[in-house]
Amino acid sequence: MGSPQTYSEQELVAALKARDDQAFSYLYDHYSGALFSVILPIVKLPESASDVLQEVFVNIWRKIGTYDPIKGRLFTWMLNISRNASIDMLRSKNYQNNQKNQEITDTVYSHDQVTQTSIDSIGLSKFLGKLRPEQRVLIELAYFKGYTHDEISQIEDIPLGTVKTRIRNALLQLREYIK
Amino acid sequence: MNLQDYISSGIVESYVLGIASAEDSAEFERMCAAHSEVRAARTAFEIQLEERLLEGKKNPPQGLKSRIFSEIGMEKEENIPRIPVAKPRLVPRTGFTKYVAAASLILLAASVGLNFYLLEQYKKTIVQNKELVDAQAQLAGANQVLQTKLSTYESDLGQMMNPLMAIIKLPGVPTSPDPSSMATVYWNTYTKDVYLLVNQLPKPLSDKEYQLWAIVDGKPVDAGVFNLNEGISFIKLKTIPKAEAFAITLEKKGGSTTPTVEAMYVMGKVDS
Repeated sequence: MGSPQTYSEQELVAALKARDDQAFSYLYDHYSGALFSVILPIVKLPESASDVLQEVFVNIWRKIGTYDPIKGRLFTWMLNISRNASIDMLRSKNYQNNQKNQEITDTVYSHDQVTQTSIDSIGLSKFLGKLRPEQRVLIELAYFKGYTHDEISQIEDIPLGTVKTRIRNALLQLREYIK
Repeated sequence: MNLQDYISSGIVESYVLGIASAEDSAEFERMCAAHSEVRAARTAFEIQLEERLLEGKKNPPQGLKSRIFSEIGMEKEENIPRIPVAKPRLVPRTGFTKYVAAASLILLAASVGLNFYLLEQYKKTIVQNKELVDAQAQLAGANQVLQTKLSTYESDLGQMMNPLMAIIKLPGVPTSPDPSSMATVYWNTYTKDVYLLVNQLPKPLSDKEYQLWAIVDGKPVDAGVFNLNEGISFIKLKTIPKAEAFAITLEKKGGSTTPTVEAMYVMGKVDS
């Protein structure tokens, strides 16, 4: 399923809305890697991550009609679908059981250091290490675990206003790193 | 908070990454609709993020693509309306029935064709409708900006037409750096509020600001500093209970305590 054609963002969106298979194939070839790098650091288990990616692309196909270019670029929309689906996966019963099994395997057969390090170097998580610890914790909770500002304020026992400012400052710094 | 501070507050990044609160997101969407600068800042970060994630992409396992395609492939077939096909009946085709059969086949073929044509039209209409909705939202945003501007102008005009307003023309003084300068002071004789209409003043350097002075018993009293905005500017300055004249000088940013006489542009006396 090669897709030699290239599209401008507008053309791509129009073709997807018209349910064009070739455009969808191009979308997969072009963006699946970037979206997988969004999902992996959140979900961590590679098998669950590819389940999430499958669900994400099926949802993109189904919901492309609701994509509104006024609210942002196509990639941003797909990134948010990916992050939300990853967080839903984190919270699913099935996943939590898998995680427990994984932990048992890890303790039995010595911790798999290689996998852990390589996941930490994927997507946005590779910039996390550069943040100060108190900022990193908040980004972990907000972006990678999907907690609301309210929940974070309770978990970390800091005022809501402080949570918001610290997260925003951390993001501004993160932005400097990804320049 | 001014627009630049808003843009660099971190809201752009937290909105794009999906971690802004619902309230902040809604506000951000309104700001995007109203200000092209906010929209531009959002797009700039979106592109930066997209490029960085594309560079650091991690390829998903092989075979996932075909699994996804078979999942949506099945779905697509379910969505296409099935055309009922009549079961053939074993009737000897003689005479009249032959023509009826032939005619019904032609009708069936035409109907299938028409169905496909209508389905295509329907898909096109959905896309076009979405485009219209988008265009409408954009117009609504632009309209809101114009409404705000219009209501400012209306309230300014209301002030100007107030019968209690004393109107004092301030023409350029002979020693003015630009003698063609001109401004008009609207002084509410009841509330003593001072409004200024700039008719013509040269654009100052970025470290300078114009300052209005009221001359009270022969002494200059600060009546406020002001900027030259784009369009018509009708500016409310300080409240001055008593004055014989008004003058404008160019001062350092933030204003001075005493006027710089060489930098006096315009002056006008109050009729007593």
